[in-house]
Amino acid sequence: MSKFKALFAIVLLVLFVASPVRAAQDTIKIGAAFALSGSIAVYGEGFKKCVDLAVDEINAKGGIKGKKIQIVYEDNKSTPKDCVMAVRKLITVDKVPVLFGPAGSSNFMAAAPVAQQSKVVMMSAQGTAEKLTQAGPYIFRIIPSNAKQGQRLAKLAFDMGYKKVPVMYVNNDWGLDLKDGFVDSFRKMGGVVTDVIPFDEKKTDYRTELLRANKGKPAAIVNLTYINEGSIQFKQAYEMSIKTQWLCGSAARAPKMVELAGKAAEGVIGTYPSIPQDTKQYKAFKEAYKKKYGDDKIPIFGDYNYDMVYLAVKAIEKGGYTAEGIRKALPAVAKGYKGVTGDKTFDAKRGMLNADMGLWTVKDGKIVDYKK
Amino acid sequence: MDIFLQSVVNGILAGCIYALFAMGLTLIYGVLNFVNFAHGELIMWGAYFLYLFISEPFSLPLSVAVAPAILCTVCLGMVMDFAIFRPLRKADRLTLLIAAMGLSFLLRNAAQFFWGAEVRTYGLEISRGFQFLGVSLTAQQILIIGVTVACVILVYLLFFRTSLGKSMRAVSDNLDLARVVGINARRSIRAAWIVSAALAGTGGILLALDTNLNPEMGVINLVKAFAATLIGGVGNLWGALLGGLIIGLAENLSVLVISPGYKDAVAFAIMVGILLTRPYLVTGKRTD
Repeated sequence: MSKFKALFAIVLLVLFVASPVRAAQDTIKIGAAFALSGSIAVYGEGFKKCVDLAVDEINAKGGIKGKKIQIVYEDNKSTPKDCVMAVRKLITVDKVPVLFGPAGSSNFMAAAPVAQQSKVVMMSAQGTAEKLTQAGPYIFRIIPSNAKQGQRLAKLAFDMGYKKVPVMYVNNDWGLDLKDGFVDSFRKMGGVVTDVIPFDEKKTDYRTELLRANKGKPAAIVNLTYINEGSIQFKQAYEMSIKTQWLCGSAARAPKMVELAGKAAEGVIGTYPSIPQDTKQYKAFKEAYKKKYGDDKIPIFGDYNYDMVYLAVKAIEKGGYTAEGIRKALPAVAKGYKGVTGDKTFDAKRGMLNADMGLWTVKDGKIVDYKK
Repeated sequence: MDIFLQSVVNGILAGCIYALFAMGLTLIYGVLNFVNFAHGELIMWGAYFLYLFISEPFSLPLSVAVAPAILCTVCLGMVMDFAIFRPLRKADRLTLLIAAMGLSFLLRNAAQFFWGAEVRTYGLEISRGFQFLGVSLTAQQILIIGVTVACVILVYLLFFRTSLGKSMRAVSDNLDLARVVGINARRSIRAAWIVSAALAGTGGILLALDTNLNPEMGVINLVKAFAATLIGGVGNLWGALLGGLIIGLAENLSVLVISPGYKDAVAFAIMVGILLTRPYLVTGKRTD
C-alpha cells in the first residue's frame, strides 16, 4: 500500500511541479489580461487577433533567440475587480515579467498598482487616460493620451463653426478625461458648452439623454461614446428625428459601430490618434491581417496591440527576460522605432512623445478619413 | 413641452420592457416563493433564439421565427425547472437563490460560447419614427407597447378566467392548502414556468428589436425588473406592471431635471424607499 502511495505522490509531483517548469524553459511567456468576456469583450477579441498575428510572425522567424513566444491569455471579464485578479494571476502563477494590461482606462488603472508593486512591466495599447501610467515606472503606454485628442476635437468643432455645443460622455475615466480635455480647450477658444450629460455604459435605452442633449436643437452634439452605446444612441436619435452633427472621440471609430447603427451612423465625424496608413509598415500589417483572417476590417486599436507585441519582444531581446531588464530596455528600443502606428518614442511619463491626431467620418457605411 | 411628452413616452417604453420582465419574475416568485435570478438569461436566450432562427441554416423571416423562438425559450424555462429547481423544491430560499445565480452565469456563458461576446443585431432597416404632437414613435416602439398590453390581457384572462389560473393562484396563496384540496400543484407550477418563460422570451425579443443583442442584455435589465417587482409587491402581477411603469417613467423624467449620470440612482432610491416602508416584501411574508 505504501508503494502505491509513493507512486501516487510521484505522479502528482510530475503533474503539478515538473511540467510547468519544463514549459517555462521552452517558451518565453508574455501575459495578456484581456477582456475576453463581459461588456467590452467586443474589443478584446479584436486585440487578441492582432496580438496572435504578431506572435505568429515572430515565432515563424524563430522567436526570441530560438525560443518560441507564448501569450498567456487571462480573461479580465471587463470589470476592474477581475482585471486585478487576472493581472495578479499572471504575475504570481504564470510568473511573467511583462504583460499586456486590460483595455479601458478604468480597468487598466485598477490593475496597474498590482504590476507596479510586483515590479512587473505592464503595457497598454489602448488606455488613453491622462493618469494611466502614474502608478509607477513599470507602467507604459504606446498610445497618445486624451488631452491631445480633446484639444483636437475642440479645434474641429470650432473650425466647423460650432461655437455652442452640448457634450455627452460615457461616465468613466476615459469619457471624463476626454470631456475635460475638450471642455478646457473649447472654452479657451471662446466656445460655449451648453450642457454636460454623462451617461452610463451598457444601457439599452438612451432616449431621454439624447432628448436632453437635443434641447434647443443644437447644430452639433459632442458625444464621447463607445461602440455599442454609440450604435444604440445614433439609432435612437435617428428614430426620434434628432438632426444634428455628431462629433465623437476615438472609441466609436469601429466598423462594428457602423454595422450595428446602420445608416444612423452616416455622417458622424470624430477624432482619433491617427496612424499614417500609407507607410510600408501599415500596408504590410494590413496585408498580413487579411491573409490570416480573411478580411481587412482591422479591429479598433488592433494595430497598437500589434506594435505592442513587437516592442515587448524587442525589449526582451535587448534587456533579457526579466522585468527589470525589459523596463530599462523599453524606452531604448522604442526610441525612433517606426511601427504600424507610427513613431513609438516614449516621453518622460512613459507615454507617447508624438501624437498625430486624425479625423474620421462615416460615409456610405464605411469609416473613412474626414476631409473638409 | 415636446421634450416632456417625449420623455413620458420614453418612460412608458422603458416601463413596458421592465414590466414584461417583472411579471415573469413575480409569477415564479408567487408560485415557488423564490427570486429567479436566471430570469434575465431567459430574456437573453429568447432574443438569441430568434437570432438563431433568422440566420443560417434556418433563415426564417423574422415574423415567422418568433414562434419557434418563444417555444424554445419556454422549453428552456421548463428544462431549468426540471433540472435545477424541481430537485430543490423543498430546499430553503437561500439555496434556491444561489442555484438561480449559478444557473444565470451558466446560461450567460453558454450564450457567449455559441454566439461570442460581441454585440449583434437582427439587421432590420432602421427608420425615422412617426411624428405626432411633437412626439416620435417608431413601428418597433408601437409594437412594444401593443405586445405588452396584449400580454397583460392574456395573462389576466389566464389567471382570472380559467380554472388553471385559479389553481395557480391557489398554489401561489398556499401550496400545502392547495394540495390538500386536490389541486394539481405540479401542473400549476409547470404552467407558471411556461407563462414566465414566454413573457421573458417576448420581452427579450422586443428589447433586441428596439436595441441590440448581447449576452448581458438580460442581466442589466433584470435589476430594474427586480426593483419593479419590489415596488409592486412581490408575487403581485398588477404590481409588477405598475412597478415597471413607475421605474421607467421616474428614471426618464428625472433626466430632465438632474444629471443623467444619476438615472439609475432614481430607480433604486424608489426601490430602497419601498423596502424601508414595506420591509415585509423581502422577509417573505405574504402581503395579502
